[in-house]
Amino acid sequence: MSRIFDAIELELLWRRLISLVDEAAAALVRTSFSTLVRESYDFSCIVTDARGESLVQATESIPSFIGTLPATVKHFLRFFPEHMLEPGDVLVTNDLWMGTGHLPDITVAKPIFLDGRLVAFSASTAHAPDIGGKIRSPEPREVFEEGLQIPPLKLMRRGEADATLVAILRQNVRTPDQTLGDLWAQVVALDVMEERLLHLMRGHGLHDLTDLAREIQGRCEAAMRSAIRALPDGTYHSALQTDGILDTPITLRMALTIRGDEITMDFTGTDAQVDRAINCAMCYTYAMCMYGVKVCTEPHLPNNEGAFRAITVTAPPGCIVNPVFPASGGSRMLIGHYLPMLVFGCLGQVVPERVMAACGSPMWGMNQSGVRADGKPYANMFFYNGGMGANHQGDGIACLSWPSNVSSTSIEVSEHIAPLRFHHKKLREESGGPGARRGGMGQDILIEVRSPTPIAVSFLAERTVIPAFGVEGGGAGATGALHINGEKVDPKRQYVLRAGETIQLSTPGGGGHGPA
Amino acid sequence: MTQYALAIDIGGTFTDIVLHGPESGRFFAHKELTTPAEPARGVLSGIRHLLVREGVAPTDITRVVHATTLLTNALIERRGAPTGLLTTEGFRDILEIGHERKYEIYDLFIALPKPLVRRALRLEARERLAPDGRVETPLDPASVLAAADQLVAAGVTSLAIGFLHAYANPVHEQQAAALISARHPGLHLSLSSEVSPQIREYERLSTTVANAYVKPLAVSYLDALAREIAALGVTAPLFLMLSNGGLTHVEEAKRVPVRLLESGPAAGALAAAVFGGRSGARDLLAFDMGGTTAKLAVVRDGVPRVAHRFEAARERRFTPGSGLPLSISAVELIEIGAGGGSIAALDPLGLLKVGPRSAGSDPGPACYGRGGAEPTVTDANLALGYLQAEGFAGGTMRLDEAASGRALDALGIAAGMAPGATASGVHAVVNEAMAAAARVHLAEHGGEGAEPALLVTGGGGPLHGPEVARRLGLRQVICPPAAGVASALGLLLAPARVDRVATLATKLDTLAPEMLEARFGALEDEARAIIAATLGAEAGITLARTADLRFAGQGHELATDLPAGPYGAGSIAAIRAEFEAAYRSVFAGVPPVATVEVVNIRVAATAATGEGRLDPEIPATGLTAPHAHRAMRFGEAMQSVPAFRRGDLGAGQRIAGPAVVEDGMSTLLLPPGATALLEACGNLVVDLGA
Repeated sequence: MSRIFDAIELELLWRRLISLVDEAAAALVRTSFSTLVRESYDFSCIVTDARGESLVQATESIPSFIGTLPATVKHFLRFFPEHMLEPGDVLVTNDLWMGTGHLPDITVAKPIFLDGRLVAFSASTAHAPDIGGKIRSPEPREVFEEGLQIPPLKLMRRGEADATLVAILRQNVRTPDQTLGDLWAQVVALDVMEERLLHLMRGHGLHDLTDLAREIQGRCEAAMRSAIRALPDGTYHSALQTDGILDTPITLRMALTIRGDEITMDFTGTDAQVDRAINCAMCYTYAMCMYGVKVCTEPHLPNNEGAFRAITVTAPPGCIVNPVFPASGGSRMLIGHYLPMLVFGCLGQVVPERVMAACGSPMWGMNQSGVRADGKPYANMFFYNGGMGANHQGDGIACLSWPSNVSSTSIEVSEHIAPLRFHHKKLREESGGPGARRGGMGQDILIEVRSPTPIAVSFLAERTVIPAFGVEGGGAGATGALHINGEKVDPKRQYVLRAGETIQLSTPGGGGHGPA
Repeated sequence: MTQYALAIDIGGTFTDIVLHGPESGRFFAHKELTTPAEPARGVLSGIRHLLVREGVAPTDITRVVHATTLLTNALIERRGAPTGLLTTEGFRDILEIGHERKYEIYDLFIALPKPLVRRALRLEARERLAPDGRVETPLDPASVLAAADQLVAAGVTSLAIGFLHAYANPVHEQQAAALISARHPGLHLSLSSEVSPQIREYERLSTTVANAYVKPLAVSYLDALAREIAALGVTAPLFLMLSNGGLTHVEEAKRVPVRLLESGPAAGALAAAVFGGRSGARDLLAFDMGGTTAKLAVVRDGVPRVAHRFEAARERRFTPGSGLPLSISAVELIEIGAGGGSIAALDPLGLLKVGPRSAGSDPGPACYGRGGAEPTVTDANLALGYLQAEGFAGGTMRLDEAASGRALDALGIAAGMAPGATASGVHAVVNEAMAAAARVHLAEHGGEGAEPALLVTGGGGPLHGPEVARRLGLRQVICPPAAGVASALGLLLAPARVDRVATLATKLDTLAPEMLEARFGALEDEARAIIAATLGAEAGITLARTADLRFAGQGHELATDLPAGPYGAGSIAAIRAEFEAAYRSVFAGVPPVATVEVVNIRVAATAATGEGRLDPEIPATGLTAPHAHRAMRFGEAMQSVPAFRRGDLGAGQRIAGPAVVEDGMSTLLLPPGATALLEACGNLVVDLGA
């Protein structure tokens, strides 16, 4: 007989579930080596039911992981159906297609048993400090160049780590202690969720999560469907171009169809995958599309399975937002971060007050590697952001990470850890798109190399050709630019620089809103 | 002659004034309405009233200690001085660019806190230091003076000076300050190398600018207060409570007023630590629940946990990351939007939520009868029988039970609940919300160690605390006497405390022990001088050394207690051992990483200020019978429950739940299965049972 929950009991149980995934997230943040995990919350923790349908996701988590983690758990279940799972098992993968679209994100999941029955999974994805392969840049042509691939495997069996797998992992990454340290931190997070969940279920007399999951997911599904139903039916199109590679822009096309209480997004007409690591695997495409829909329909709806059921995303296999093996995807955000704006292009036709002009994203990054004066090799990645798009309420915010949420590194810390000297880091005046409400400004950063030995630098840099567009009559933001020694250069290439040479990063401005 | 110490705690609504006789252990309290426009006025009239009432001569006062929310409010309401910033050429926008992160991911319409200094008032000087403090470009005096002239002409009265890598070498900031004060002697100056000498330019500049912003206000307020207290005939020195829970003297407070921001809450946490200690509880979770918010602070080994980062003037009160980051030492508190006035309502998903929306005091809960129609936590407590219609808030107000009932019924109908069940539900939901916040807070810091007791204060703490404790799996709740003026009492029990910090940003194993000793020694000398200026040269000082350490590659440091100096051969290994032990206790295991980095070193100098005895009046033999029986709801049914007056209880008396113990300002709710013991020290100690 199925159990019914009233408004109070459901609130109490749901709040407990959220606090247990948040506790696990706190444990993971505390112990992690990865700066992306610690400072930018580049990770996620969830609890799913026995079928891999998610109930709760940790509060602090960037949009990349919306819906990816439950999908990975379902893949695990294909490889390891219930009869192959035992208490104490931990499953692992970083597969590009079953995971999050790039190899540094390692996903682990633990089956949870109550009285001998599989009742739930705890699962976590986190960005590893290193996964081997080429240093992060758009250069790799195939996934094989990007590092170690871990197919769905058992990292632990009945509580015992697989020594063979651990040895292979250690051998293939640059920072074995830190990568493995983070992996064990993720396992601790899984244990925290398992322990708290079993305590909760026993305390409330829950034998399984079926009824609770139906209630939680059902309410979110109903809320999302009702938000969609309020939008006018129809098919809305949008398209945009990214800088692309080798002077060839890449075109992304979306047809978004609202029919009753459902939305489908289709990418037919989008350009094909490329032999650069900017391909955006379907899992990441899905997450970014969901994010785009969510922020303009039900922004505060909890992220669980129910929130996503009314929404489907399709893309022809082989296009850049649904690439096929052996595509590379390490810099997938150079395509993926455009996708929410494609959603805005469609939904802006029906709810213009809920979208904003384009942002100066994808995020920018500079990767340096070289040898220090003491002979030791080093590598660092620094991130910088462009301006936000303006919206009907006001100007866009200058220099803000969107749709991701990655902090920029302190200049003083940067100068301590890298042989660089910063000459300025300032707002780019006039870079925000003109309009009744101006786009957010980008920034201008001038860096001098001080290393006595040559250093290699590569970049994540978009919108150097095609600017962030304005909406409702607002103008486009300024394009970004990369200069080396004062000369404009191709940001998709790698450069070797010597002491005294300079790098100038100018991040793009956001688009304006309304006629100026 | 009997001697007294005087505490003044200015809060948003009331100014609490407390006189304490350290020899007799007795204390007397008075609440005066706060006078926001001119805070000293309320203080003075309150002091006068209390002295006359208790027949105490101003000259009998030997010590005055003060805490205030004045500066915090000035930041929130942007009522500070016209402030300028002078920084390194090329970097005036650091203050505006910030971390480049959002505090809310799903809201496209967020606003970030505006910088305290707008762009036109942020100017640059030509100079540059290397990360190790070496001068790469000497300071150009002409650029400094031109900027200062321009800012003064624009009306700036307070100037922050913050150069890159000034934590490693203050020379350029000091040179600039000398040049500017010679030309513009009236201008208030704040130097980043003095206010917050720590690596990370955005936090350091943000802190220095906030200091500059409140400095003129702090200086004029503190000078006026000291003058007027002296005019009353009080000859004792005036001390200020700092955010870190320590005291300092007026001149130091005027120099770095940003360190006073959280003085009120710090006093509250300190009072909790002291009251808990009187029942032998050294590990506590201090829980204060008022009308609109609940606050939680962790006390370990008798000391409130101090964090070295703090956020002021949040754009959204309960959203971390939405405020101005300040790198000051402050007693660590989390604030939850849950209080007596928190409104219960169904959310769009049909769940019963309580808070953070609050009915405040106007219109207030439905039962206040001032037109509030939405049910609140207080309405639920009234309907459950936990609160009495008569005698609320010290008898100043009669609660309207019918209005509560109507508000709760409306919610119950919408939620499909029975009336009694709705009130129970509101009570349970708000308790779970507070417990959930506490759980995550404890997890963020590695909640290992001894199981804490929950120390309850505020109007709602004793009423909700036992149930919050049960939800957290804690077994002991401590309800101190005089919870209403606990913060002010905390002021009188605070030690003098000085925190000093320096950034090393280097590898531990490359440090020469002599050099480390010299760096610590310099900080300790500075701290000692301030304590001596506060309490006199003979004050007994305790010095504690800590360091922010991390394994190479990590981005978060762990504040680690270090062995005492002087350091020599073997000290570096001992420091590493302390770090690994601390790491293991927080994170369970130690990663196999060879290199440990020292980011900051810190010194905390404390000196007791002579706390004396603190003895509430407790009858030697108390009443064993309740003064009334009341109908209250526990679980599914109403039952008759004994009610005791706190003042009637004698030391050693035990009460078994279900029961309530009432004093003028709050009600301790003992659930079934719990027992309470009144200890001779005045604390009611609740054992929740298994």
